[in-house]
Amino acid sequence: MPMEYATIHSIFTVILFVAFIAFVIWAYSKKRKTDFDQAANLVFEDEQKAQQKNKQESDHE
Amino acid sequence: MSQTKSLNVDYNYRVVRLFALTTVFWGIIGMAVGVLIAAQLYWPALNFDTPWLTYSRLRPLHTNAVIFAFGTSALFATSYYIVQRTCQVRLFAEKLAMFTFWGWQAVIVSAVITLPMGLTSSKEYAELEWPIDILITLVWVSYAIVFFGTLVKRKTSHIYVANWFLGGFILTVAALHIVNSMAMPVSAFKSYSIYAGAVDAMIQWWYGHNAVGFLLTAGFLGMMYYFVPKQAGRPVYSYRLSIVHFWALIALYIWAGPHHLHYTALPDWTQSLGMVMSVVLFVPSWGGMINGIMTLSGAWHKLKTDPILRFLIVSLSFYGMSTFEGPMMAIKSVNALSHYTDWTIGHVHSGALGWVAMISIGAIYHLIPVLYNQGRMYSISLINTHFWLHTIGVVLYIVAMWISGITQGMMWRAVNTDGTLTYSFVQSLEASMPFYLMRFIGGVFVVSGMLLMAYNVYKTVRAKDESLQPVPAVA
Repeated sequence: MPMEYATIHSIFTVILFVAFIAFVIWAYSKKRKTDFDQAANLVFEDEQKAQQKNKQESDHE
Repeated sequence: MSQTKSLNVDYNYRVVRLFALTTVFWGIIGMAVGVLIAAQLYWPALNFDTPWLTYSRLRPLHTNAVIFAFGTSALFATSYYIVQRTCQVRLFAEKLAMFTFWGWQAVIVSAVITLPMGLTSSKEYAELEWPIDILITLVWVSYAIVFFGTLVKRKTSHIYVANWFLGGFILTVAALHIVNSMAMPVSAFKSYSIYAGAVDAMIQWWYGHNAVGFLLTAGFLGMMYYFVPKQAGRPVYSYRLSIVHFWALIALYIWAGPHHLHYTALPDWTQSLGMVMSVVLFVPSWGGMINGIMTLSGAWHKLKTDPILRFLIVSLSFYGMSTFEGPMMAIKSVNALSHYTDWTIGHVHSGALGWVAMISIGAIYHLIPVLYNQGRMYSISLINTHFWLHTIGVVLYIVAMWISGITQGMMWRAVNTDGTLTYSFVQSLEASMPFYLMRFIGGVFVVSGMLLMAYNVYKTVRAKDESLQPVPAVA
């Protein structure tokens, strides 16, 4: 007998739920912490270069 | 940090500047049209008996101007800026980027011409007729090529979270626009949707609510994840939370559309599904709000001295407020009271003027000095004045619409013991009149603030290079 739509959808919902929980565990695992800290600082990475550049320029004046 | 790694990237700021300046220009136009139609509701004679100036034609002009001219220009400007700076690489396909600018301006000008003429597909937030829809598609595909092309040639190993939100917004808006605009043209300016009946309504609100979810939320969250940390001078509160709330937000938003169609011919189960998804959406929305506001933890004193940061953080408070209000209004029994009343208008504006406009204004104030080689904006105290004008305007607007909306809802549902309606429609309109005046005054506050902004931006742009020095930070 072919599977009912409702059954397929129920299984799919459970798979999505489990995948989401797994994803949250991955995101909050200790191993990821340093990588994420680094990523969070990406917004300042090129600013420091720019500041360095400005400083050099102002030193010349 | 990585002081040894010197990488002098020559960013393309030209297209960013153009979009940043048009953001301010279209902001004033779009909001001024809003004030005009708010005035028309109080003084109906203001349409001067001219078809082009009637509320019915100017209202779509107002919504298109603020969402697609003001808001989307701000998104173009900030996304081109953010993707370059966080990928540490110059923009991909720069000529195509310039095409997105001129193409997008052509779309806006076409809207400004055709909407007052009464040319409309009659789909809310998608009123523009089919030739303009095709131009939008071309511009949007080019936008995607420029944005994702820049991501591909990035110099950093990680793709910063702001780019995830911006990429999600660009892809989803492309899909929404193409699917909802499917139509059969019958002449150069008239077409009919290929969908019919309840399916048409569902497609329309799948588009409509995800224009809110992806353009007005995900896009501006991308803006938030760059400019809040940058202006506060500290990394985002929780990077993990940003990733989890990104996936949760985009997975849930796409289902929320049916709450626009409660108690209609849409199947009941679809309405209930939309309601449940809308209520759950509260969680990732607040995840984003908390993440943004908590970025300031330990540096709250900066709010006292920095009006730009105040714009950004207060925008998040409005975001939190409207994403609490939204799920509540999506509950069917609450919706029975709120739907078709001014409460909805108030809700939209707490999102649009509170969240979207304030985060964009803050971002533009941050951007303009960087783009024009200045240490700061021409006048910090004018930014502060703008902040208060805008905040007072938004609060007046929202409070007026709450009172008016709930009054309307209560009067429309009131019945006498014999089952007849207690009030006529005109009686509820009369009850709303004082609040229409209050809304108009709130709008005047908001537009005055935008005019101050234009002056401040003009003075900053025209100032001699590096003549405006940054204010030393107060410890």
